[in-house]
Amino acid sequence: MEILRVENVSKQFANHKALDNVSLSIPQGSIYGLLGPNGAGKTTLIRIINHITAPDSGQVFLDQHPLTADDVYSIGYLPEERGLYKKMRVGEQAIFFARLKGLSHSEASTRLHQWFAHFGIEDWWGKKVEELSKGMAQKVQFITTVLHRPRLLIFDEPFSGFDPINANLLKDEILRLRDEGATVIFSTHNMASVEEICDHITLINKAHNILSGSVADVRRKYSSQRYRIVYSGDASRLAEALLGKAVILDESADDPQARAATLRLDNGVAARDIIPVVNDCVDIRSFAEYAPSMNEIFIQAVNDNNLITSTDKNNEI
Amino acid sequence: MKSKIGIVIAREFKERVRKKSFIISTILMPVFMIAMMAVPSLMLMFSKGEKKEIAVVDNSGFIADKLVSSDEISYFVFDHDVDSARKMGDIYGILHIGDSILTNSSDIRLYANDAPSINVDEDISHQVSKIIENEKLKAYNIHDLDQILDEVKTEVSLRTFDNSDEGSSTSSLLSYIVGLIFSLLLYMFILLYGNMVMNSIIEEKTNRVLELMVSSIKPAQLMLGKIIGVGLVATVQILIWGVLIALASGLLIPALMPANVAADVAAINADPTAAISSNVDMVQALALFGNVGQIIHIFVIALLYLVGGFLFYAAIFVAIGAAVDNVQDASQFTGIAMFPIMAGLIISMSIANSPNSGLAFWTSMIPFTSPMVMMSRIAYNVPSWEVAVSLVVLFVSILAMIWMAAKVYRVGIFMYGKKPSLKEIVRWMKYK
Repeated sequence: MEILRVENVSKQFANHKALDNVSLSIPQGSIYGLLGPNGAGKTTLIRIINHITAPDSGQVFLDQHPLTADDVYSIGYLPEERGLYKKMRVGEQAIFFARLKGLSHSEASTRLHQWFAHFGIEDWWGKKVEELSKGMAQKVQFITTVLHRPRLLIFDEPFSGFDPINANLLKDEILRLRDEGATVIFSTHNMASVEEICDHITLINKAHNILSGSVADVRRKYSSQRYRIVYSGDASRLAEALLGKAVILDESADDPQARAATLRLDNGVAARDIIPVVNDCVDIRSFAEYAPSMNEIFIQAVNDNNLITSTDKNNEI
Repeated sequence: MKSKIGIVIAREFKERVRKKSFIISTILMPVFMIAMMAVPSLMLMFSKGEKKEIAVVDNSGFIADKLVSSDEISYFVFDHDVDSARKMGDIYGILHIGDSILTNSSDIRLYANDAPSINVDEDISHQVSKIIENEKLKAYNIHDLDQILDEVKTEVSLRTFDNSDEGSSTSSLLSYIVGLIFSLLLYMFILLYGNMVMNSIIEEKTNRVLELMVSSIKPAQLMLGKIIGVGLVATVQILIWGVLIALASGLLIPALMPANVAADVAAINADPTAAISSNVDMVQALALFGNVGQIIHIFVIALLYLVGGFLFYAAIFVAIGAAVDNVQDASQFTGIAMFPIMAGLIISMSIANSPNSGLAFWTSMIPFTSPMVMMSRIAYNVPSWEVAVSLVVLFVSILAMIWMAAKVYRVGIFMYGKKPSLKEIVRWMKYK
């Protein structure tokens, strides 16, 4: 079941198109990664969902009804451009934000003390925000974002500014929130975190949604017809033998006794057709299906997409 | 929804009132004002220390012994010629009166060793003129001349009464001062608190708190909360000052007043046309400060204009704050906002001569200048309908201003990095 749906959203700024007819559907209870290179339009999309910017066309639905301003106030939103009032004390400020989200003073105070204890930061309560480091302030912001227990959480680049230990802590908290029933959308460049916690992703490049789906489906798509061979022998003979049957995507020859090559078989060619061909010209050490990392998928998808759009442009000329 | 504005107001208010600078300025301002009033008399007291000695060489023979020494200047007769007198370097100066002074009034010279002083010049010319006048009168051989002169000596004390209103007497000097103090106060307030609103908006932009805020509250509500929060701080500050002044005037002044002045004040408060014996302006000023009813009346109108003027200009400062990224960029736009404020102040200062002129009337109707100008006219018994119309115009304009500011604010707060032109800001108002 989907909680949020974005339908054909476009947004044009003065001299560039931030989003071009983007659609996506976010399943209830998922952790949804919004990926893409810098300037792809991720933050614009998140701002449109949060009613900070209005789309030129298209619509956003929450639970099958158009998303309203009042819905937005119940979302837990951690913006990319996030800050706190510098002169205010941490505890007081956290209570202030919690009350704006509709919690009573006492309720906010109880929950905040629980969170502060959970993160082991009780002694920050009376400090002024300007005394905190950037990472410390981020923790406080994270707490204020999730404090009112929203069903839908949106984090824009939540891991930026965190050291690996705290990034891990944050990951665990995001997983815990999901287990408690919340749906989490977050944008990131941090592909390792995507692999670890996301179950669905959308890859946005140059204002377009170029890849969408569950992480398992995406990986399957990018691993089909892909194999990795480790061998010893003549690389050029192998290349010659594979001509017309497979494309060599990647080669490494650090160790001449154990060269590696990643292949993508052409359509209609099966692994069992390839193995004898390879076996004839080199000594196979191993032959296995290749599962690319999300990082590789990201780079490949973006590069393929850029190639297509640039050839489109060339064709237009 | 309303309670969200309340939360923002409470934050803005608490954060500012708790600041040391607020507490210090609230206490120091009245002290500073009292000190300002006390400075002239203090300076007089200190300057009394050095007495100016003047040797008088009187060739005419009838002036030197009639010169009266004062606390400041002492005259002594010097019986030698001028040249030897002028050798004395340790006194203030030597006054040489020629023998033809009766027929030639310029036959008098002062040789000063020290820097010339206006007080000394005035004292000498005043005294010598009087002595010569008396000497000339004596030549007519009038019987009982001294007595006659004493009896004819008169100094008129003019009091002005408002013709339409039986109850009050007005002193134009007093009205001028009261009006000036009020419009200066307003000028200060608009600048001080208008800038405070603007800076708090710029601060939110530079701190990047805004995006966090607008995911919880409508921008218009946030803006109103800020204006009202800062406005409350201003109001509290005025109220504290008002209470301090009222206490001072209600308790201190009667206690410190000399008995005959106190009697006059009581008489004038009971019946404004009562005859009085001491200095008119002073008695009227004291009567005004002792008259709590009138103080409250002026205070209420002043408060309305303070609030109105603040809201009107706060909306303008909000729009400026939302349109720019930092305080430096803001200065160009604040200059535009400052212009009508300054104009209002200058007009209100020049209004004393004709408080009911066309200029005064129209500038106290136009909301850009009306708070300042009307403040300075209040003390001149402006017709109530004028005050009412001016207030209505002001508060309706405030609504329009705030509506426009909200438009600019909504668009402006997420425009980082680029300083917009005035034309672009106007275009933002048309955005939906």
